[in-house]
Amino acid sequence: MSTAESESSLSDIEKSFMEKAFCYAKEALQNQEVPVGCIFVYHNEVIAVGRNEVNQTKNATRHAEMVCVDQVVEYSKTNSLKLESVFEQIDVFVTVEPCIMCAAALYDLKVRSITFGCKNDRFGGSTVLDVKEILKPVTVVQGGHRADEAMALLKEFYKGQNPNAPASKVKLKKSVE
Amino acid sequence: MRSSKRIKLDKPEHSQKCLIPIISDDLIQDTPLIDVYVDTINDPKHISKVIIDLNSSLPILDLTHLKRVKGKDILLCPVDSIGIDQVHGLLKIKNFDTSYLQNNIRVVSVAKIPPKTRTQYNKVNKYWPCNFHSDKYIEKLVTNTLFSSEELCEHEKFMKMAVLLANYRKITYKDRKCVGSVVVDPKIKSIVAVGYSNALSNPCEHATMVSINNVAQTQLSNINDVPNKSKLNLSGIPEDIHTVLQDKFEGSCFGSTWFKDKSEIGQPSDGPYLCTGYYIYLTHEPCIMCSMALVHSRIKKVFYGINSSNGALGTLCKVHLLKDLNHHYEVFAGLCKSECEGLNIL
Ligand SMILES: [Zn+2]
Ligand SMILES: [Zn+2]
Repeated sequence: MSTAESESSLSDIEKSFMEKAFCYAKEALQNQEVPVGCIFVYHNEVIAVGRNEVNQTKNATRHAEMVCVDQVVEYSKTNSLKLESVFEQIDVFVTVEPCIMCAAALYDLKVRSITFGCKNDRFGGSTVLDVKEILKPVTVVQGGHRADEAMALLKEFYKGQNPNAPASKVKLKKSVE
Repeated sequence: MRSSKRIKLDKPEHSQKCLIPIISDDLIQDTPLIDVYVDTINDPKHISKVIIDLNSSLPILDLTHLKRVKGKDILLCPVDSIGIDQVHGLLKIKNFDTSYLQNNIRVVSVAKIPPKTRTQYNKVNKYWPCNFHSDKYIEKLVTNTLFSSEELCEHEKFMKMAVLLANYRKITYKDRKCVGSVVVDPKIKSIVAVGYSNALSNPCEHATMVSINNVAQTQLSNINDVPNKSKLNLSGIPEDIHTVLQDKFEGSCFGSTWFKDKSEIGQPSDGPYLCTGYYIYLTHEPCIMCSMALVHSRIKKVFYGINSSNGALGTLCKVHLLKDLNHHYEVFAGLCKSECEGLNIL
């Protein structure tokens, strides 16, 4: 997978989409969730927004991307659009490289593109298992946009395991991974 | 939790051999080999002295699983980059007295890493004597003798429920591709949650994802909201399905233990957490998304009936064996295979 490092390769509007994804990552952090934010863009319009909500839902699959997928399903129903063709024109902006689960889901849905921030060393859908190599998707993937910032958010979350943090918070954060 | 009317446990319909553990290749394949130099000792009386000298002057840290001697032959060093004519020179530099040896150096293939199974051991031990520590659990896995016939019966029962769910879905919703799944808490032998593919209305709602979501429902619901606290939590099983399963599988146990919040017990939760400790029975091998969802959910064992073309627990890849992941589960394939195959026929 090509992971373009240059920030400048994004257009102004794409940068604004990425900025929006970061807002949701920060919201996740404020809610003691792994800080990953995501938005889905369809015809230059944001039709789904999401952040990690694993702890809140007690469901380890409620990643930002999956939250967005459900919103697109609703959007398509509401607007009487064909689900498959909506997904095929979706551009995904997400602060962290999608995990193996989310990458597989997005490839199967044939989304048009995925633009992400930092790599996902624990679960990444290219870093840990090359899902692209297995599924040969049509999706164009590029990463490295504001990667340091995205990584800093993750580090901030995981540093909560330091002994100085209040006890209850340590447990909450440990329970996520 | 034992019910009065237990299903017949005398004999499983399918034999143990139908249930194939999907295990790592390094448990199945032969142990990799490496070439080493050996020489023959002049006088067998000196063997113990030669071993002691060699182990101190030329230890082989990567091959500590190998014995240093086989009969009158002595293991000197790996072939690596050193030529056969340089071996005695090296020994001399290391202050080893080469006059003990016949200077009849040969190349021999030996086990590169410690063998993991008895079968592997028996093979490489013939090449060169080797240490082996048998792991009882691994032996049962590789010889496919893990489950007792009583346990096999139980696994079959849960898989038959998954098949029934898939069929129920197929008939009720006229859905062509029907996958059924059942999540079980093996500690109390109880059905915690069920699921079936709902991909017609949401393309990501595969049976596994629906089941995981239903497990979450059991942990979101609060024991304080129900009148009868002695009962198990049924939030993971839709009412109509509960009725159907209860009817067909008399005497089965349904529901999860109640989730206890940290605030209630004043310490980290000891109640259910995600799918920790649970088993899932799936009529079809799960895809990459679902297999990874089960990693995230920390499931303990996965049983599936038949392979899927997009399966990720044996067919396209083996997600449960990825070394870099923080959780791994066990996978068994082929349970109630013919019943599951029947689901694919329209
Ligand atoms: Zn994910
Ligand atoms: Zn799936």
